[in-house]
Amino acid sequence: MNPSIKLLLLLVIALEISFTMIISLNVALVILAIIYLGLHGTKLKTLAWLLVVPLLPAIGLWSTQYINGSGDKTLMAWVLFTRIYAFVFTGATFTLTTNILQLADALEQNWHLPSKFAYGVLAAYNLVPKIQHEVKVIRAAGLMRGQQLSFWSPQLYFKAILVSINWSQNLAQAMASHGFVEDAPRTHYRHSALHARDWIILGLGIIGMQIGVFVIPWH
Amino acid sequence: MATITLHNLTFSYPEAVAPILDQVNLTFASGQFTLLTGPSGTGKSTLLKLMTGLLSLPANQGSISFNQTDLTAIVPTDRAAQVALMFQNPNQQFAMDTVENELIFALENRQLPPQQIPQRLTAALDFVGISHLRHRHLNHLSGGEKQKVALAVIVAMDSDVILLDEPFASVDPTARASLLRRLVRLRDEAGKTIILADHDLTDYEPLIDNVVRITAEHTLAIVPQVQQPALFQAFNQRVSTHTTWPTPTSGTPLFQLKQVTLQQAQHQLLEPTDLTIYQHQTTLITGPNGSGKSTLFEALVRLQTYSGQLTYLGKDIQKLKRKAYARQVALLFQDAETQFLNITVAEELAQCQKYAYGDYFTPAHIDAALQQLNLAGHQDQVIYTLSEGQKKKLQILLMLIMQSPVLLLDEPLKGLDLASINALVQLLKTTLAATQQTLIIISHQLTGLTPLIDCHLRFDQHQLQYQEAF
Amino acid sequence: MKWAKSWYLSDVILIALIGIFFGAIFMGTNYVYDVLTAALAPVGLAGLANELLLGLWCMPGMLAGYLLRLKGSATLGELLAATVEMFFGGQWGISTLISGVLQGFGSELGYIATRYKHYDWLGLTASAITTTLVTFAWDLAKNGYFKLQFWLLVLYFIVRFISMFFFGGVLTKLITDLLDRSHVLKSTHNN
Repeated sequence: MNPSIKLLLLLVIALEISFTMIISLNVALVILAIIYLGLHGTKLKTLAWLLVVPLLPAIGLWSTQYINGSGDKTLMAWVLFTRIYAFVFTGATFTLTTNILQLADALEQNWHLPSKFAYGVLAAYNLVPKIQHEVKVIRAAGLMRGQQLSFWSPQLYFKAILVSINWSQNLAQAMASHGFVEDAPRTHYRHSALHARDWIILGLGIIGMQIGVFVIPWH
Repeated sequence: MATITLHNLTFSYPEAVAPILDQVNLTFASGQFTLLTGPSGTGKSTLLKLMTGLLSLPANQGSISFNQTDLTAIVPTDRAAQVALMFQNPNQQFAMDTVENELIFALENRQLPPQQIPQRLTAALDFVGISHLRHRHLNHLSGGEKQKVALAVIVAMDSDVILLDEPFASVDPTARASLLRRLVRLRDEAGKTIILADHDLTDYEPLIDNVVRITAEHTLAIVPQVQQPALFQAFNQRVSTHTTWPTPTSGTPLFQLKQVTLQQAQHQLLEPTDLTIYQHQTTLITGPNGSGKSTLFEALVRLQTYSGQLTYLGKDIQKLKRKAYARQVALLFQDAETQFLNITVAEELAQCQKYAYGDYFTPAHIDAALQQLNLAGHQDQVIYTLSEGQKKKLQILLMLIMQSPVLLLDEPLKGLDLASINALVQLLKTTLAATQQTLIIISHQLTGLTPLIDCHLRFDQHQLQYQEAF
Repeated sequence: MKWAKSWYLSDVILIALIGIFFGAIFMGTNYVYDVLTAALAPVGLAGLANELLLGLWCMPGMLAGYLLRLKGSATLGELLAATVEMFFGGQWGISTLISGVLQGFGSELGYIATRYKHYDWLGLTASAITTTLVTFAWDLAKNGYFKLQFWLLVLYFIVRFISMFFFGGVLTKLITDLLDRSHVLKSTHNN
């Protein structure tokens, strides 16, 4: 399925469940997502991890409504609890089956996103391991000067921005040297297809969602 | 085939007082391999970036032309066919995740029809001899492998002129030799024009056609054929030294390595090693580029993972508190800016005085040191507007003021002129005599440094051991 | 796509890098969030953890708006940070993207209100206020705040504004002051 259409469908779902209060719909979405992930060979361990990750915030939201809510407190508590899980599992159907390169290809080829945005973000994204290391280096450099740089220290962010400025210029120059010209046409080796099928799935998905919200008597 | 002509080229950076290149006139003949030399910070990178069109030349500041066509007249999309640049830092050189995707990216930029891409890509990887790296992640490659990929990209794009900016700074000798062989073939078989900037002249003599030097007057001069042997010989002599250092056997162990191995990505840098480094000895570590010296330092300050056990004064460094350990063992990073925390020179000095471990550096001592290092009068200057040499000297002074019991120095003399080196070594000597710090120094540059050294570790071929002769 | 013309490739990379850098720093604050949430959940005030730290997560947008001074830079800066966070398996899944756009647009509104002319306390304060308003409106629905008792709603709102003002306003100002004094910005936007 075309990644951009998949993302669009998931965004529609996420928006819609943000404004509805149907526990069983949230649960149904989680189940559908698990089935989808299972079909795509997601490991049980990963699925278990997805259950653990949102647990704390889910409990937080649950207890807030249960103790300090108004109206039908129990209903709202469970709506929010299941909603988080719906966000995380539907999100996982995207992030665990699609990589950022496929999304960038689709946005560039099917939606005419200027290539400087697609490849600029990819270039930065591919530096993630270096960035994680650099944050450690900045912190260590501070400690060696006797200064602890915490997440509220302006210097920590200042240093990070200095490095970002430096790297962004290096990368932009390197990409230019590899023939990249802003706003110039390029050819595409990996073809990102956008079939009628994708639109049909999107349409069916959105209709299915409306049936879930307005037609099926969940309670 | 392309001839490059520089005509009255002048360039200044916005905040600089004097131009970095002043009225440069030179022609690089087509199909020749030219070595561009000159100390660090004299404008080699600037020149190469101007020639690639990455920095634009202001109007009326001369011209750069390829086969009589002005660089500005070449449409941007055709530029990469004309000229490509390989950078010094292999880490910020790629946009994509894998080797294959990076080559595809470059060929798409060149607007090659998709059906021609696989063949061009395979041929380029074969030419450089890295077909086995095709599907590998760029983040998992060594410095040498990354530069081979960078060359493969240039080969695939089929650029006429290949510029290389100190490309071997983090490349091991085997990879370096292999890259140089490829460059020579590109000249001989494909008629490429090659200009390579380096301050290290090792091994170039039999390969190159011309040597061009950046002069003190900020212009370029061709080194006549007859003077070339003397230039290379002088360089080789500079490296060899007749000093010998004893292998230490007694003293208080500072660091102990027990079956320590170092990895970088998927490469083993250090085989399981047992070794002791002693307190109050100044230890020099030498070894080829890419052997793992900086990685060793990062492991010693817990910025890099390793296997085996590393102890500091008998204690496993992983069991020490990060904050307390950082006050014991500090690292002078290769890039001076990494060390800075504030804006002006005065603020940096004040910060160090406030947090210093000892009180050897009184205001009077600091003033004297600033004089000695030729930094006096710069107190109110913004650090980021200092020259690279001034930054380096300030960085070393700051870390000396801190007086951590152990200081690891990674290439402290890189890019400094001889006067600065002598002043620094003098400062290090007097400070050490008073503070009894332990220094461990990684350096390629030995001139002027040797009087400071007590013993010598050699890091080469995955081995780290004491060596008496250099 | 006229707005896109004023962006250079290096600008795109820069705000993406800043987003990732800040994300990497924020990962270190997860423990604060976890501890606070666990401690406050039994009394039904777990949302305070989110309210206290939210300003931090909105910083990339405000900073991007300040640094690049381009239309859309606050929105795009926050969206890029959110995209990267989503691929790294953040706690909130797909809603990260929606929150990212809204947080970024919230910050953008502050700069719009001050006509992209006030890169000072006024602009940052306006941005902190609009970010608070937009994100709070979104949480009325998404986090079910509209069902909360009124006193709690007021408390959350105030705490959120304080967080926004502290991280997005004061801290951003301190960071940008350092950047201004360092003279590194001038050289970035002329290539």
